[in-house]
Amino acid sequence: MIRYVAMRLGIAVLQLMALAVVVFFLIRLMPADPVARLVGLNASADAYAQSERALGLDKSVGEQFIAFLGFGEGRGLLQGDLGRSWVTGEPVAAELMRSLPITVEVVSLALFVSLLIAIPVGLIGAARPNGLVDRGAFMWGLFAGAQPDYWWGLLFILIFAFTLGIAPAPLGRMDPLIIPPDPITGLVLIDSLVQGRLDIFVSALHYLALPVLTMVFTVSGAIVKMIRQNTARALNSDYVLYARACGLSERATARYALRAALTPTVTLIGIFFGILLSAAVTVERVFSLNGVGQYSVRAILDFDYPAIQGAVLAVAMVALLVYLLMDIAHAALDPRIRE
Amino acid sequence: MTPDNAPLLEANQLRVVFGQDAQATAVLDNFNLSINPGEIAGLVGEPGSGKSTAAFALLGLVRNGAHFEAGRVHYQGRDLLNLPAAELRQIRGNRIAIIAQNTRSSLHPLLDVGTQIGNVYRAHTETGKKQAERRAIELLASVGINDPQRRLTAFPHELSTGMAQRVVIAMALAADPELLVADEPTSGLDVTIQAQLLDNLWDSARASGSAVLLITQDLGIIANYCDRVFVMHEGTVVEQQAVNPFFSAPQHPYSQRILALQRREAVEDEAAAHPDRIAPPPSQALLDVRELRKTFPIKHSQAVVQAVDRVSFDVRRGESFGLVGESGSGKTTVGRTVLRLETPTEGEMSFDGLALHSLPEAELRRLRRRLQIVFQDPMDSMDPRWTVRQVIGEPLRLCDELSESARDQRVIELLEAVGLASSILSEYPKEMSAGQQQRIAIARAMVTHPDFVVLDEPTSALTPETTMDILVLLQRLQQEYSVSYLFISHDLTTVRFLCHRVAVMYLGQIVEMGTKTQVFDAPKHPYARALLAAHLYPDVSNRRVDRERTETLRGEVPSPVDLPNGCYLYGRCPNQKQRCRNEVQQWSVLDDGRGVRCWRVVEGEI
Repeated sequence: MIRYVAMRLGIAVLQLMALAVVVFFLIRLMPADPVARLVGLNASADAYAQSERALGLDKSVGEQFIAFLGFGEGRGLLQGDLGRSWVTGEPVAAELMRSLPITVEVVSLALFVSLLIAIPVGLIGAARPNGLVDRGAFMWGLFAGAQPDYWWGLLFILIFAFTLGIAPAPLGRMDPLIIPPDPITGLVLIDSLVQGRLDIFVSALHYLALPVLTMVFTVSGAIVKMIRQNTARALNSDYVLYARACGLSERATARYALRAALTPTVTLIGIFFGILLSAAVTVERVFSLNGVGQYSVRAILDFDYPAIQGAVLAVAMVALLVYLLMDIAHAALDPRIRE
Repeated sequence: MTPDNAPLLEANQLRVVFGQDAQATAVLDNFNLSINPGEIAGLVGEPGSGKSTAAFALLGLVRNGAHFEAGRVHYQGRDLLNLPAAELRQIRGNRIAIIAQNTRSSLHPLLDVGTQIGNVYRAHTETGKKQAERRAIELLASVGINDPQRRLTAFPHELSTGMAQRVVIAMALAADPELLVADEPTSGLDVTIQAQLLDNLWDSARASGSAVLLITQDLGIIANYCDRVFVMHEGTVVEQQAVNPFFSAPQHPYSQRILALQRREAVEDEAAAHPDRIAPPPSQALLDVRELRKTFPIKHSQAVVQAVDRVSFDVRRGESFGLVGESGSGKTTVGRTVLRLETPTEGEMSFDGLALHSLPEAELRRLRRRLQIVFQDPMDSMDPRWTVRQVIGEPLRLCDELSESARDQRVIELLEAVGLASSILSEYPKEMSAGQQQRIAIARAMVTHPDFVVLDEPTSALTPETTMDILVLLQRLQQEYSVSYLFISHDLTTVRFLCHRVAVMYLGQIVEMGTKTQVFDAPKHPYARALLAAHLYPDVSNRRVDRERTETLRGEVPSPVDLPNGCYLYGRCPNQKQRCRNEVQQWSVLDDGRGVRCWRVVEGEI
C-alpha cells in the first residue's frame, strides 16, 4: 500500500511538472502583449522597455523558462517559488494561499451536502422504482441540470436574499464587518472553530449557504441518478437474491446491497470534485467569493503570467490529491482493484 | 406433524409470471413437483425452460420483476408462499438450501468467502463469529478445498470457477439442510472436476440422509446420480419417473426426443468403434512433432506460463489424430503451434520432410495452402460483411493463381462437398445457422485441397444433432480428399467417433497416446482413466454411484505457472507414491505400442 501511494505521489509530481511546462509555453503562444497591458498603450518606448526588463520579458523564451524553473539566479518552481504577480506585486503563492481555501471550502461543502441528499434519495428511488421519490428526483435532475449554475445562483439571490431576506446578500464568504480569523488552515469554517469564534463560524456558514445551494442544486441530480443505478443493479443482483435464498435477515441482505451500491460512490466523489472545481469559476463570480476561480479569471484577463501558472498548478494539485485519496479509499473498500 | 410417507416438498400448479399486464409472460405454468425425504431427484430441461426460476420458486422466492400468480409450495405441510417472513427465513438456507447456478455472481464481490459462509451459518444458529469461522473452515474442507484456513480470506474474484462452485456448495450445506436444490452445480466445469463435485454431493447427501434436487440439462448426470427424474419443458413438468423406467421407456414425446438426441452420440459411437468401418490408416508420417515446448511470458514478471511441455506425436497421411484434454491442458496451443500460428519455444516439427519449426516466413506462406484450420466459433473467423463466395474463395485468392471463373467453380465444388446448395453463394454466413456456418468454415479450409487440417473444437458450439452431422461430414471429406486431421476436443464422444489414434493431454503434456481402442477401452495412465471414467453416459446400467470409484482425482488443477516438481498429477492422483513427488515423468512406449508418462504403468504396478 505504501509503495502504491509513493508511486502515485511520484506520478503526480511528474504530472504537475509536465503541466507546468505546457502552461508556461501555451500562455506565451497567446497573441498578447502583457507589457502594454501594464504600462498602457501610450507609454513611452523607454517606459515600455524598462517594464519589459522588469518582467523579464526582454529575455528569450528559453531563458525565461530556465528562470521559471529555478535553474537561473533567482528562485523558481524547483525551490517552490511561483514568482510574483505582475499586477499586484505580491508573491503568487501567498495570494493562492488566500484564494484556494475558499474554493476548496465551497466545493467540499457542496459535495458533502449533495451526497447527504443524493444517497438517501438514490437508495429510495432504487428500492421503489417509479415511486414518488424516484420520479421526483428524475424530474429534478432534468430540470436543474438544464440551466447553467450562474443562472440558478442569480435566481436564488433574488428569492432568498432580496425577496425573502433569509440569506445574506452575495458579498463574500462572511459578514464584511467581521474581522476574519487568523489563517491557520485558511479554511474559515475550521479556523473559526479552532479559535473558538462561533460567531464567525455561523456567519461564514450563512454566507456560504447560497453558493453551496447553487452547486448542490445543479449537481446532485446527476449524483442521485448514478447512486440509483448502482443500487438498482445491486438489488437485482444474483448475490442479493442468493443471500435471501440463504435465509439472511432483511437487515443483512440490505447491508449486502448497500455495500455493493455505495462503494463505487467513492469514484463519483473524485469525478464530481473536478466538475465542481470548474463550476466554482462562475459561482464565485456571482457570489463575490475571492476563490481561485475568480483569481484565475483576473489573472487571465490581465495577462498575469505568473498568476496564471500558479493558479493552474494549484488547482491541478488539489484535483490530483483528491483523486489519489479516492483511489486509496476505493482500493480499501473493493478487493478487486487491489492488485 | 406429517406422516412418514408424505413428500418433503411439494409444488402444486405453480405459476410464476414476469412483467405486468400486457407484457407479462409465464415462466412457470402448472408446475408440479414433489420430493420425498432422502431421495435424490433430478430435474432436466433445456436452457430457457424455467429451471432456475423453478429452483428459487421452491423456496418461495422470485427475482425482482416476477411474481407468483397461482399455486402452492408446501414444505412439511407449511405453505411457503403465505408464511410470515421470519418463519420463511428459518426455512431458507436452513431446512431447504440452494446452490445457485451462477455461482460466481451469487457471491458478494466485496466480501471474503469466510464472512459469507459465516453469515449464512450465523443466520440459522446462535453462534459468535469465532464459531462461525471454525464451521466455515470445516465446510470448506468437506467440499474438498485445500488449505481452507487460508481460503477464508479469499475474495470471489480470486477463485477459479470450480472453487467458487465449492464455496457456494459449502454455504448451502452450512446449516445441514434437509433438502438441497442444486441448480446446475457443475455447469462450465471440466468433467473430472464435475465428477469430483457430484460424487462429493452424492456421498454427503447419502450420509446425512438429506434430499437433493439436481437440476441439469445433462441426462448423463441424471442417469448416474438420481433416483427419480422430472422432465421440464416450457415451464412445466411433462414427465416424472423413476430413472430406470425413464431411461428404458420414456413416456412423453419431449422426453423421448431429448433422450434420443443425447443417446444418439453414444449409439453412433458404438457403430463407429467397430474397427472395420474405417480403413486402417497408412503408416507414413505426414507431420512429425518432437519435444515441442511452448511458453508464454507473463507481463511484469520473470515467470512463464508453460502451455506445452515436451510434446511428441506424429500424424500420418489420411489419419485423424485426436488430442483430448480439459481446459488449460494446452491442446489448442499445440494445434496453433504446429501451424506456426505460434512460434515454438523449443522442439522440432517436420511436415512432409520440411523443417516446419524453422521455415522462413516466405516459404511458410507458400506452404499455407497445404495446412489449414477450422475454429470452434465459425463466425469469429469470418468477416461478417463477406458473402459465402468471398469467404470460401479467400484462401484460393491468397494461395493459387486461378481465374475468377475457375475459382468460382472450385468454391461451388466445395459447397456441394459440404452439403450446401450453390445458390447461397451471394448470401452472408452471419444469417445462417451455426451448423451451416461451420460447414462454410470447413469448405474454406478444404478449398485449397490441403494435406493437413487442424480441427480445433469444431463441434463444441453446436447442438448434439448438428454435431453428429458435422462429424459424418468430416469423415466423408477425409476419404474424398485423403486429408489428415488433428482433431482437438474436450468431448470424448466426438474424438471416439472420428479419430484413429488419440493422445490425452494434461497440463501441457501428453500423458497417454495410443490407438482409439487402447485409450478408450483400456486407458492406463491415472489421468486418462479418471477422464474417461468421469464421462457420464445417459445409461443407468453402469451408474457411477454404483461402482467402486478408484479412478477419482482430488483437488484442483495446479496453475501452469507454478507446476509440481515431479509428476504433474502428483497431489491429485489416486495411485501416487512418494517417488512421484519429485521424479519427473518420462515418456515411455509400452509393448503394445502405446505411450504413457507414468513410471508405475511402465513397471506394471497399475
